[in-house]
Amino acid sequence: MNDCEHELFEAELRRLKPAEPPEELMSRLAANLPGRSQHPVTRVRPAQPPIMWWALLRWLAPGLMGAVAVAVMLMPWTKPPPHAAVVNVNPAARTNNVEIDRQLVAAFDTVARMPDGEPVRVRCREWMENVILRDPAQGVVVERRTPHFEIVPVGFEIY
Amino acid sequence: MDELPIQADWRRWLEDHSPKFLLFARQKARSEADAQDLVQEAVVEAWRRQDNGAPPPLPLVFATIHRRAIDRARSEDRRTGREQAVVEPQPESWFDTGVEDRELSKLIQDAMNRLSDEYREVITLKVWGDLTFAEIAEAVGIPANTAASRYRYGLAELRKLTKKVLT
Repeated sequence: MNDCEHELFEAELRRLKPAEPPEELMSRLAANLPGRSQHPVTRVRPAQPPIMWWALLRWLAPGLMGAVAVAVMLMPWTKPPPHAAVVNVNPAARTNNVEIDRQLVAAFDTVARMPDGEPVRVRCREWMENVILRDPAQGVVVERRTPHFEIVPVGFEIY
Repeated sequence: MDELPIQADWRRWLEDHSPKFLLFARQKARSEADAQDLVQEAVVEAWRRQDNGAPPPLPLVFATIHRRAIDRARSEDRRTGREQAVVEPQPESWFDTGVEDRELSKLIQDAMNRLSDEYREVITLKVWGDLTFAEIAEAVGIPANTAASRYRYGLAELRKLTKKVLT
């Protein structure tokens, strides 16, 4: 193949453009933009409650529901049908609008040593789980971010 | 929500370069899902290596995809030795083409699949990754002269495989 043929063929190849990645991948990549990770709570959320209030609510709501259910069942003058107590409970917040997002924030390999000195490579991944709970009726939006670490030894047979 | 300047830079950078990364990853991975994971992992890792928050140099991202693909293949080889797992086919088209280039696209993709890995990776990085031979050398860990000769031989081989259609 001479230089001319070489260049013509190269030009033919360059006519083809790599396919655009699927939207889903672009969303995942965009979710890992540096600015987002460094400023995770810059989004404006209306009527966000103080963190302590939410912490209390998180534990009080199920407890309150349980207490009301038990009280109704123990009342001597009423015999509610099964599950009626639960149906009648009006919890402090109905957070049935839940959004869960998971972002990969770090991935790296490292080497550890077993007690007998054998080196084992481990694959580490750090995920950030973002859970958003919404109660439109009360204007409550709660966001909770939880780091999650995944460490997998790849030096072993894992299956 | 207004984007921070750094986010806008990154978004543009991703839009410009992610097709190249995915093309390279598709040739290295055994499934489309793996290829997409490779791109994501490589971009995140390359970004974390940057001290100034700016988008990383392209050879670094390609090098990360290359290295992670090797790691992943070794790990899968150990598993498949026991499980005899079936390799997932890759039906995705590598190129974005109109009607007139569809046949050419298929022809080149088929021919590229028949090339050796060494030729295929250098051709991909040079033609569609827009890297220099020095950058290709950095990305796949070979001397620049080797990259140049592999490119020349690989191109000749690819042309031979597509000879009946292209001139």
